[in-house]
Amino acid sequence: MEHGRHVFRITLVVIVGLTAVLIGRGFLVPKSHGIFGAYRADNVAEQMKARSPAHHGPASCAPCHKAKSEARAAGSHKTVSCEVCHGPLLLHVADGKVTGKMPVDKAFTLCARCHRRIQGRPEKFPQVVLEQHVTTRLEGAVCLECHDAHSPKL
Amino acid sequence: MDHASCPPASPQAPSAPGGPPDDAQRREFLGAAFKITGGAVVLLAGLDAAANTETHAPPPGGDAYNWEEHRWAYVIDTSKCIGCGSCVRACKAENNVPDGFVRTWVERYIVGPGGSYVDSPKGGLDGFPAAPTAFTPTKSFFVPKMCNHCKETPCVQVCPVGASYRTKDGVVLVDGKSCIGCGYCVQACPYGSRYLHPETQTADKCTWCYHRITKGLKPACVEVCPTATRAFGDMLREDDPVRQTIDRERVAIMQGHLLTQPQCFYLNLDMEVR
Repeated sequence: MEHGRHVFRITLVVIVGLTAVLIGRGFLVPKSHGIFGAYRADNVAEQMKARSPAHHGPASCAPCHKAKSEARAAGSHKTVSCEVCHGPLLLHVADGKVTGKMPVDKAFTLCARCHRRIQGRPEKFPQVVLEQHVTTRLEGAVCLECHDAHSPKL
Repeated sequence: MDHASCPPASPQAPSAPGGPPDDAQRREFLGAAFKITGGAVVLLAGLDAAANTETHAPPPGGDAYNWEEHRWAYVIDTSKCIGCGSCVRACKAENNVPDGFVRTWVERYIVGPGGSYVDSPKGGLDGFPAAPTAFTPTKSFFVPKMCNHCKETPCVQVCPVGASYRTKDGVVLVDGKSCIGCGYCVQACPYGSRYLHPETQTADKCTWCYHRITKGLKPACVEVCPTATRAFGDMLREDDPVRQTIDRERVAIMQGHLLTQPQCFYLNLDMEVR
């Protein structure tokens, strides 16, 4: 009967251990874990609404800024989204209401990001050696003295 | 259950207190008990997870978005990139990426017979400066980089807490609430596309703008790219331009020998690019 008592004891230990672990697991493992895989399924929906989209594309600017939008769409900057130079729409409009002013960077450095001649750019892309192209001083909004940013062809 | 190995001819009663043989037996006894308990828990947990996975739970997007109907993919044509860094800035603004970190970045390769030069100042955030090189370059180009959203993800495999995962529509995400910030995934990613967020101390990475693509928008980087270097599309839609590019053009992937099955495909990728 000694063996019988051993079996009883170890079974008791196993059952107590298992129960403790299962109860602990119930508290520690998030509810939605394992529905789609070894992760918390609720996080997928959380990621979907993690934040409001900030960029909305040129079409969202056109209703209020018709003239500039049309000039842009007709010129050689037609593939450049308004938000490339002006920043995301969310800085300006949220829930259909104007909430703030868009930053407007008029410095030549903004133009230089695309059009300064450097190693790496495709040869066909329009680019200039700024120091040769600008005959006056290379500073501030010097590009805009000759070019219209929305339709830059001279 | 190891008690059968108790020597039956032991002169002492097994339940007698004290004595080294009894202690040893008790230790074995408890050890075995804990091993069995542990094993059973692992087994049960596995069964639990397997059982849960097979159930058809409603997709997380509700009626507005069904993740079963999409499988996202990305195409980058390096020959079109002008290195303006608009994508890097848009990504930062869209996703509040902390200073000093990027979720997508642009690298510049300047290559010649005499050597090669690679740079990516601030990930290309402010564009690129002129690059004086000691050798005479014969070719130079920009390569935008980001999370490749691999099908066989090393980062998900190493996560000890199930914080990293791949969604059914093919996006690799990090659950910030589960992440313990151990950084294994940062080490495991062969593309260097993860970092530990300095404020939350959890892993952070490109989500393909999951908050945008589930609303029918493109990722911010694709939205602002002025030269259509970047394209984002759905592999489950036959008429999708990105799917057609991948199906019909000669596309390359980054570090194919690692068999991670990246879902970012490159056009005109040079062998210098790793």
